[in-house]
Amino acid sequence: MTVLSIKNVSKRFGGVLAVDDLDLTVDKGEIVGLIGPNGSGKSTTINLICGVFPMDKGSIKLFDNDLKGLARYERSHLGIARTYQNIRLFGGLTVWQNVWIATRQNGIGSFAKKLGALFLRSQKSVEAVDELLDLFALQNKANIAAENLSFGEQRRLELARALASEPKLLLLDEPAAGMNSEEVQELRDRIFKVRDLGISVLLVEHVMELVMNVTDRINVLNFGKKIAEGKPNAIQGNALVQEAYFGS
Amino acid sequence: MVITSVDVIQSIIDGILYGSIYALIGVGFTLIFGAMQKLNMAYAASSIAGAYCGLGISAVLSLNLLVTFFLGPLVGGLIGILVYLVCFRFIPSREHLGSLMASIGALFLIDEIIVHETDGSPLNFPELGIFSEAYFLVGEFGFRGDLIFVLIVSLLAMTSIILMLYRTKYGLAARAVSQQMNAAILCGINPHKVNASTFFLAGVLGGLAGCLAAAAVGVISPLLILPLTIKGLIATVIGGLGSIKGAIIAGLLLGGFESLFLLVRGVNERDIYVFLLLFLFLVFKPNGMFGSIIDRD
Repeated sequence: MTVLSIKNVSKRFGGVLAVDDLDLTVDKGEIVGLIGPNGSGKSTTINLICGVFPMDKGSIKLFDNDLKGLARYERSHLGIARTYQNIRLFGGLTVWQNVWIATRQNGIGSFAKKLGALFLRSQKSVEAVDELLDLFALQNKANIAAENLSFGEQRRLELARALASEPKLLLLDEPAAGMNSEEVQELRDRIFKVRDLGISVLLVEHVMELVMNVTDRINVLNFGKKIAEGKPNAIQGNALVQEAYFGS
Repeated sequence: MVITSVDVIQSIIDGILYGSIYALIGVGFTLIFGAMQKLNMAYAASSIAGAYCGLGISAVLSLNLLVTFFLGPLVGGLIGILVYLVCFRFIPSREHLGSLMASIGALFLIDEIIVHETDGSPLNFPELGIFSEAYFLVGEFGFRGDLIFVLIVSLLAMTSIILMLYRTKYGLAARAVSQQMNAAILCGINPHKVNASTFFLAGVLGGLAGCLAAAAVGVISPLLILPLTIKGLIATVIGGLGSIKGAIIAGLLLGGFESLFLLVRGVNERDIYVFLLLFLFLVFKPNGMFGSIIDRD
């Protein structure tokens, strides 16, 4: 089943064609990599999916929902979550609150229930937050302000918060930036755990150690165009890809 | 007239009690500033307008004073949402001057509407029944019952607001939007809804402040708008932009300070000293008592 399908999408910034007629799909339970040299349109693609700016042409669908014209928070309600290249946490809120704020009361009930959810911590959301904090080894930091966490912990918290909205599709924008080899291993295990929760992942990353070991399929962009797609080991040997990265 | 130390302390007590209205207005300014990093200059005007509407509706339907104190804040909140829609919602957030000027326009518009509807003459505002007659003597100092009522209601309202901000999911969402708007949107929060709620809550506080101010003075008049705007802003700045605690303390102190100089220097010179206080703060402590240096990426 296709979770995300991008068809013929283009985006131009002034004279630069940042994304050029891009086709891309992510299937259920799949981890898809999106790589390419700097300025090849990876982050623009993520931003188009999230709705940071509108696309010029083409269509983006999540399952059968056309995302065109939807606001960013509405896309979040549909099941798209993301993390940023530079971490964006709510520094003044505690770790627990950072995750709780993103939880959602599924199964919309009566008005009174909704109103109650605004003021009270529902049992379900409390359990969900505790589970996520366990999964990301943050339980003992639950009551610390997010701005006081170490860099690695902040990255974990951002991922936990992204999962709290119960997404169908998780967009990771360079999650391994600035990590050492050991941390990359941990991150890889976590991404597998995310997949085990039934969530599809689109991973933008420069750290090849991660991309090659975690993804099922890789798309390579250069100057906004897709130049290759395939299994990690096939991509590694692809001449076009090597040319894009190293020049001919 | 010889001013004794008893007079001085008595006037400071009266002032601090009345200052709780400045604190309320200051908290309202702070809430909106915290949410959008913008000043809503129409805030005190919509507060007084809320009180006017509460009074008007109660008079037409001949309801009692309690209802006025319920309707005033409610209409104040609704006017707050209206001001948000007109002056803030659709003006791009990077256009800081745009919203400021639009809200100044709203200030004059509301003021003009009130002046036209009432022919510019003040209306009697019902006194607070038993509270107005009560007078407590503690040693040599007296406490006016209506001002104690004003203080208690203000403190209750401000406590509820703080509880809402720190204990509810709405409050978390409001703080999340003000700290990291983009990340908040990613968490599925609709920032326009959160900001509109903040304007409503601030408006409710304002409507309450308007009713309290009118009840303490005994009349309601468009002339209340300017002093409330200016003193609310001064309380916000002295307390530290964005600090609710600061706005509360600064509002109370400002009331005491103002009342003291009313006693010592008379009504004509009183405001000069209030502005001098603001001037001193701006020169020596521009971030206010509790303000942090505002830092956002």
